[in-house]
Amino acid sequence: MSTPETTAPEPIAPDAGTAADRPLLRVRDLTVSFTTATGDVDVVKRLGFDLPRGGALGIVGESGSGKSMTSLAIMDLLPKGAKRTGSIELDGTELTGLRERQMQAVRGDRIAMVFQDPLSSLNPYYTVGTQIAEAYRAHRTGVTRRQARRIAIEAMERVHIQDAARRVDHYPHQFSGGMRQRVMIAMTLSMEPDLIIADEPTTALDVTVQAQILDLLAEIRRDTGAGLILITHDLAVVSEVADQIIVMRGGDLVEQGTAERIFCDPQADYTRMLLDAVPRIDDEIGQLRTITTEEDR
Amino acid sequence: MSEPLLRAANLVKEFAVRGNGLLGTAARFRAVDDVSLEVRTGETLALVGESGSGKSTTARLIARLIDTTSGTIEFAGREVHALTGRDLHAYRGEVQVVFQDPYSSLNPKHSVERIVTAPLVYQKRPVPGGARAFTKELMERVGLDPDHSARFPAQFSGGQAQRIGIARALAVSPRLIIADEAVSALDVSVQAQVVNLLRRLQDEEGFSYLFIAHDLAVVRQIATRVAVMNGGRIVETGDRDQVFGDPQDPYTRKLLAAVPRIRPEWDAARRRNERARTERQEAAT
Repeated sequence: MSTPETTAPEPIAPDAGTAADRPLLRVRDLTVSFTTATGDVDVVKRLGFDLPRGGALGIVGESGSGKSMTSLAIMDLLPKGAKRTGSIELDGTELTGLRERQMQAVRGDRIAMVFQDPLSSLNPYYTVGTQIAEAYRAHRTGVTRRQARRIAIEAMERVHIQDAARRVDHYPHQFSGGMRQRVMIAMTLSMEPDLIIADEPTTALDVTVQAQILDLLAEIRRDTGAGLILITHDLAVVSEVADQIIVMRGGDLVEQGTAERIFCDPQADYTRMLLDAVPRIDDEIGQLRTITTEEDR
Repeated sequence: MSEPLLRAANLVKEFAVRGNGLLGTAARFRAVDDVSLEVRTGETLALVGESGSGKSTTARLIARLIDTTSGTIEFAGREVHALTGRDLHAYRGEVQVVFQDPYSSLNPKHSVERIVTAPLVYQKRPVPGGARAFTKELMERVGLDPDHSARFPAQFSGGQAQRIGIARALAVSPRLIIADEAVSALDVSVQAQVVNLLRRLQDEEGFSYLFIAHDLAVVRQIATRVAVMNGGRIVETGDRDQVFGDPQDPYTRKLLAAVPRIRPEWDAARRRNERARTERQEAAT
């Protein structure tokens, strides 16, 4: 149960460290709740973590774990009726107190988001070039259409879309699923964000395309130094991408640590069960170990 | 090697696509292109491929949910295409399908009892021991609480609903179950349970699976043999360990290389730590 009223976040004491060693993102006591007929339901419960500059954090969980609600809470894009409390600090700036206008400047400009389904995030009536360029112009004053178009083409080239100067005038339906996800990533790239939040970015993609998109995200991190939060249900994917991992279940943080520690020496029973349940492509074959859940009797 | 239960030879399925081809002929899209495969008694043949590979269309041809453009399908020595009336009815009892989304493949307004007895009712076969007892026994076999036989699909979780779909398939004692991405939509912990259930049921009943899936790691856990599809064609068929361990076709190799994997050395370290933990716990008691 959460507090009935949205309380103002506790003022955060000024950070002792300098800007350079301050984490890029600092989340404290983040709680997301919904009011239902039977009372408040917390879908994220007092979550706290730091993302260092240039770090890659994986948030793993099954359905209902609260992992996607966490990403939407950071972006202030929660569905109507959701209440958010706690503190979200981006590079020393508290985001929870910002007005919608100020938050709009943060979204896209400093934090960019890549969703699972690129088709529903792109407008079918506009060319991809127009969409990348207009998103850019919305965040940068004094940029001409022509300049924005050039930036769109450059961004598409950076995500390895062949023949970008021609493809920029194509509509979303003229791209495959993987290419559309590249367009979405190009859109986020053009903003040069400090932080990319990718929510199941490869879940809808074929495995060969998934591998390409994961490589692309790694390349962008290397080249731009942007931080990455990868939200996923897929433990194998997160093991390849993240250096820090949070395991969530039912809104709770189950376990947190470096990727190596979580995969080599998981402490929580739930993490161990999850790791046992993942079918391996190159390990022993046997009965997949499972723990007793509501699925069993 | 056991006899093939199902033998498909040179299967072709073409769909008319919008727009005309040259000279006013309708353009055709060949979704399944000269596919031949065998499913032997008691084995699991996994048909794997990416979207658009034709694997689901092949499954639907074999289930006779759609008609072939050309090619033959023999089940237990009989040509499936030629079956009509009572024989087709019988075929539908021998071959059952479990779909990906349990909620959309189970009638939301029917109770579990009505759902799992429907195949028998449709076939005008008696329900052994009466509907109530029959349903309870089936529910027990798939790991559901038999006291929930009057409930509706929406009252079950995704994994439980998929078990209802499996129970319905089992109701007619089929010889072949076509599982079309049957565990793809499930959370990993639930998926493991359903995979274990599918294997146990096969051990108990001796039926065959045609297991359609895109997830190669899951396929490796359940398949006896594997057929890899790409662009409507089977590019490689072989025993599970041969296909995973020594793939011959370049596309199979590309597919396997793309599968994300947890580092084997991390898994090895975890097993060491797990053993040490168990030993510590045993020493403590």
